[in-house]
Amino acid sequence: MRKSSSQFFARALIMINIIFVVVLPLALIVVWAFSASWPWPHLLPQQFSSRGLEELFSNRVFGGVLLQSILIALGTSFSATTIATMAAHSLLFYPSKLNKLIRFLLILPFLVATPIFAMGIQVFFLKIKLANTVLGVIVAHTILALPYAAYLMMDAYSALGRKFFEQSQTLGAHRLQSFYLVDLPLLLPSISSALLMSYIISFSQYFITLLIGGGTVQTISLLMFPYLVSGDRTLASSYGLVFMLATIAFMLILQVISRKASKTAALFDS
Amino acid sequence: MRKRFAKNKLNSLLLLAPTLLLSAIFIYGVVNGILQGFGYMPFLGKTQLTAEYYLKALSRPDFLRSLGFSLKIALVSSSLSLILGVVLSVLLLHARAGKVSRLISLGLPLLSAHTIVALFMVSLFSGAGLISRVLAQFGLISEPSQFSSIVGQPGGLGIILVYLWKEAPFIAFVTLAIMENISQKYQESAALLGASPLVSFFTVTLPLMYPTLAKAFIIVFAFALGSYEIPALLGPTAPKALAELAYMEFQNPDLLNRPYAMAINGLIAGITILLTLLYFKILSKEDKAALL
Repeated sequence: MRKSSSQFFARALIMINIIFVVVLPLALIVVWAFSASWPWPHLLPQQFSSRGLEELFSNRVFGGVLLQSILIALGTSFSATTIATMAAHSLLFYPSKLNKLIRFLLILPFLVATPIFAMGIQVFFLKIKLANTVLGVIVAHTILALPYAAYLMMDAYSALGRKFFEQSQTLGAHRLQSFYLVDLPLLLPSISSALLMSYIISFSQYFITLLIGGGTVQTISLLMFPYLVSGDRTLASSYGLVFMLATIAFMLILQVISRKASKTAALFDS
Repeated sequence: MRKRFAKNKLNSLLLLAPTLLLSAIFIYGVVNGILQGFGYMPFLGKTQLTAEYYLKALSRPDFLRSLGFSLKIALVSSSLSLILGVVLSVLLLHARAGKVSRLISLGLPLLSAHTIVALFMVSLFSGAGLISRVLAQFGLISEPSQFSSIVGQPGGLGIILVYLWKEAPFIAFVTLAIMENISQKYQESAALLGASPLVSFFTVTLPLMYPTLAKAFIIVFAFALGSYEIPALLGPTAPKALAELAYMEFQNPDLLNRPYAMAINGLIAGITILLTLLYFKILSKEDKAALL
């Protein structure tokens, strides 16, 4: 009896957290984005309109910046996930004394704050002509996203183990085939997570894009920064809404691809 | 045999090459910054190492205030996030929360950008924010200016709120799987030996999670200490966060001022390097404990 009442209590708290702490604030952004008139102290907007979004898209550069931000985020996400998967594979299949060092290197950007790296690397990027370029920004973002992707892929690989891969090899497939036909479909959920996480890391970056992009490379994050704390909540929230939609869109695309690929993985279930 | 070992070595190196390259760039950036703090700027012809910039940085009164401010924010937000994160994890396990609940409770915050969190925090906790309106509806305040906004709040409350919203779920995410694992293995044995769930949590589960909790705390602390964006958005004009101070000096058109900015960075890096060494130590202890 006591157990079920404390379980009910836990469930209630989880629900309260989900509704009021997680969802409500995010929904608030959406509501503000479509508010035309919401004077204090009303709890709901008095008038709705899409003027916020219209204002955004009427800005000639906005569409281009949005596209560029998405492309940079996609570039980062695929680079970081690929590099992380390669590293995780190597750590599992070719264990060595260096493993501890590699894992440490992968976690390093978690431990040293981004602004320090950004300010320290700027001169170097200028020297090798990567500053003020999209490629330079992608490289910088990938470095920052790699720890997240690596954490996910190392977890995934340690759960998967070596057996499937080795079994496939005994049946005659070479390494690349074994990876592509066997491990990859099985790792797809984690790969999706790594892709999504890296995408968001890149999309969210402000300071490093500012320093490496140097004002030449613009992203949505850079554009919206000055408006976030400003008086015009509608405009700020419109930026926020576009930002969130660009993320959700990628998440949905990944879901669709995952679902198709998990049918292949299901072939391995007896 | 030897040929296969060599081939494996080569494969391993090929797979690790991009990681090593990117890590090298990262380390170079950090080390370069620290060296610049010692006045080492070969591109300006200066190759003498000197401690003057570090001493100058340390003797600035506003630096010490910024250091205290950043440390306080990092400590408060990380400690609270740790506690709340563990509580959230426990709640999710105890409630036997399904995949959807976990996805929303942990996934949504994880996938939200810090700047978006700042955006809705302002929409909630500013003079014209939702909370202020709710208070007005209850007749507790009669003007927006009566609500103490989190924007520019001198104690950095806005910054702490943003970090809490993001980092508590992050810590819950990191600890959930391990807590579940431990729970399955040891909870039953502890119960059979007569321990109540609460006792077994504090004497069995929690101690087994110390390495994970320590690592998560260090990551969250290091981030909060050196971050720029959120203090720039929600922090007071003074004291500024350390990263803001460093950037301010960094933007000085006089390049000879650069070492000064880098010295501030170096001091932030110094603190985080100490944390890094701690992390490395915990990592090696964990490998020994993994024999469990």
